[in-house]
Amino acid sequence: METVLMLGNEAVARGAWEAGVQVAAAYPGTPSTEIVTNLARYDGVYAEWSTNEKVGYEVALGAAMGGVRALTAMKSAGASVAADPLISSVYTGICGGLVVIVAGDPGMSSGMTEQDDRYFGRISSMPMLEPADSQECHDFTRLAFDLSETYDVPVMVRLSIQTAHQKSIVRVGEQVEVARKDPGRHTDKYCLLPRFSRPLHAGLLERVARLREYAEASPLTRVEPGTGAFARIGVITSGAAYISAREALPGATYLKLGMVHPLPLEAIRRFAATVERLFVVEELEPYLEEQILAAGVPVEGKQWFSQLGELTPVRVGRGFFAAGLDLPRWAEQKAAEDDSVIPRPPVLCTGCPHRGMATAMRKLDLDVHGDIGCYDLTSLPPVSHMHSAVEMGASIPMEQGFTRAGGSKKGSLAVIGDSTFLHSGLTGLLNAVHQRTSVTVLIQDNSITAMTGGQTNPVNEKTLAGVATKPVDLAAICKALGVEHIKIVDPYDYAACLAALKAGLAYDGPAVIITNRPCVLFPSKLGADGVYEVDEALCNACQQCMKLGCPSLHHTEAVFKKRHKVEIDASTCTGCSLCAQLCKPGAITKAGDA
Amino acid sequence: MSTPDACALHYANGVVDDIMVVGVGGQGVIVAAAIIADTALLHGDLEVKLSETRGMSQRGGSVSSHIRIGKSVVAPSISPGEVDYLLAFEKAEGLRLAPSVVPGGVAIVNTQQIVPPLASSTEYAYPFDAIERMRGDSHPARTDGLRLAVVDGNAIAAQAGDLKVAGVVLVGALSTYLPFAVETWEQAIARNVPASWLKMNLAAFAAGRGAGGSEGSERT
Repeated sequence: METVLMLGNEAVARGAWEAGVQVAAAYPGTPSTEIVTNLARYDGVYAEWSTNEKVGYEVALGAAMGGVRALTAMKSAGASVAADPLISSVYTGICGGLVVIVAGDPGMSSGMTEQDDRYFGRISSMPMLEPADSQECHDFTRLAFDLSETYDVPVMVRLSIQTAHQKSIVRVGEQVEVARKDPGRHTDKYCLLPRFSRPLHAGLLERVARLREYAEASPLTRVEPGTGAFARIGVITSGAAYISAREALPGATYLKLGMVHPLPLEAIRRFAATVERLFVVEELEPYLEEQILAAGVPVEGKQWFSQLGELTPVRVGRGFFAAGLDLPRWAEQKAAEDDSVIPRPPVLCTGCPHRGMATAMRKLDLDVHGDIGCYDLTSLPPVSHMHSAVEMGASIPMEQGFTRAGGSKKGSLAVIGDSTFLHSGLTGLLNAVHQRTSVTVLIQDNSITAMTGGQTNPVNEKTLAGVATKPVDLAAICKALGVEHIKIVDPYDYAACLAALKAGLAYDGPAVIITNRPCVLFPSKLGADGVYEVDEALCNACQQCMKLGCPSLHHTEAVFKKRHKVEIDASTCTGCSLCAQLCKPGAITKAGDA
Repeated sequence: MSTPDACALHYANGVVDDIMVVGVGGQGVIVAAAIIADTALLHGDLEVKLSETRGMSQRGGSVSSHIRIGKSVVAPSISPGEVDYLLAFEKAEGLRLAPSVVPGGVAIVNTQQIVPPLASSTEYAYPFDAIERMRGDSHPARTDGLRLAVVDGNAIAAQAGDLKVAGVVLVGALSTYLPFAVETWEQAIARNVPASWLKMNLAAFAAGRGAGGSEGSERT
């Protein structure tokens, strides 16, 4: 059998392909994006970037009801967006298998919150598997399709960022042929009217009971006997926490749970009786711990292992050490890095089309209601100018509410990207128009879903599958929604940015400003359009250009009035010219023009 | 160390090599990590696990890749203070991660400096003297016996033909510490670089082996 080093997300895609998945639909979101990116590469799989997670879920659900195996994938926040069909589809059940991948982000490497997605299992009654490495990502995804069809229910595979973004060895298998099932017509099953839903809920509870029986006897519920001094220590764990616990405390006896909803409580009870001391190691909330305690089994858990962040091996090891286990490896807290070294957070790229407007908004000292996209980096130094950035689509309704609260003296506006606007900005703008509120909206259209790595969205001319499609016209949409003031601006033209913002804020009624330069990284890295240079003799070290936060601008050792002069890294400058436009003494010019 | 016996001996008794590659987004850290991991895979009979920086790594931020190689490896990430080999593509990143190296471990540090925008707009200063600080006897890692190899990766890469192969120069320097045959490394490089760039990458790798590895003159 072939073995391959695979990302957890690649292994999910491989497992789904082997299981005969035919339709995959998702909105990109770290750390889940690579699942559908990889599925799109397999022949015979229809894969799409949907406009949002709810849409993606519904496309997959429709395909499953249509008789084929389907998959949708999302980050934690995406599961909240898709929560409505997620919960309802457990009532309706499916025809072809439906697998729902939800990838959480304990530690918030890129997420807005560290919600514990395991509770979706309890809210919805959807069965949930939790793999721990790439092999299990592959195996569990395959299995999830079978379970989905056997129990007539969507099955969730829950990943943690650690599982999704680690690479480990996978023994891959062969693809199975799965014929389309007859979708039939099942009004009383698929139409969630109260008279149909009530019996469906009862049927759902019965299926959960049968799934619990399955979990009790399944190889997913695995006892791993310990050795040595800690053999009588029992650890109940799953997913990424299992890997960390195994690294931290190799000799203990483990009950490794592959299914985290519903829980095999009898197997847990039996396991508890075989050990002297019982721990639960789990990331985030005391999800397992509370259910185990409620089943009358005493365990130790969150008093030793933090409810915050990723549970790395050292954090688990320190927890066991604090609990009194003699573990020299974890006896002392070691430094991971030298905190005194200058931090290097991500920054807007050289030539980023978001920079011009960000600088203009700071100049006008506006209250900015941001959304979810690279422009959120302007909430960090040196730009440090953003009032809020909460969740997908929040910017416009929040700006509307803020305006209703009285707004601010210097003005406020909503800032949203093309992909996020199409994900969930449209309805907010429509509402503001309908409510006759004078909101100002800046759509930073860089013509790609940039922050997640350059995925297509409806402003593009091609779909994920490479099919030519008609790019949507954002200005036309805004006009159709009833916006009368629409201005398209070149974000590399600083004076035009300032003028457009002022005009939009002054307009009595909803106003939309749309920028028109593409992302510098995606779909392909933009080459330099002329390079700029600094005449050191003319530079008066005024620092106006440095406020752009451009990675290609650096201080030189030359000092004027106690401030450093500036130089431009010619190897990375893209020639956007913003720094030259801000340079009052005219020290910055296009190379060769001087 | 390049015979099969040497490798079996090296990884006997549960030894796991913990290799951390650090740098700045866009420097090629991910490709270097893939080459290292593939070398161990191609060698065969070893477990390899890898984890990478999460988040917006393409936006000029600090990035790191962890590679763990052994007969049996559990976690994909390296715990603080347990790095056996630190491969730093940028000197300030080397200084930042130096405390993570195990006492007596190896740090291979590229002399390249990339000054982040924060250095110009905040109270933070860029450590232009990063190499000197790591060399200095007062640096905690030095007192713990850190073996430091300083490599001018960019100069060597330029000689090989293009600055873009600087990462493979550093991989070459690392390769002298690990028990894999040169041919295996070369195979792994071929897997991870475009065919038209292979020749230049192999030249960079060979130059890196001479520059900062166990035979390197810069080694202090």
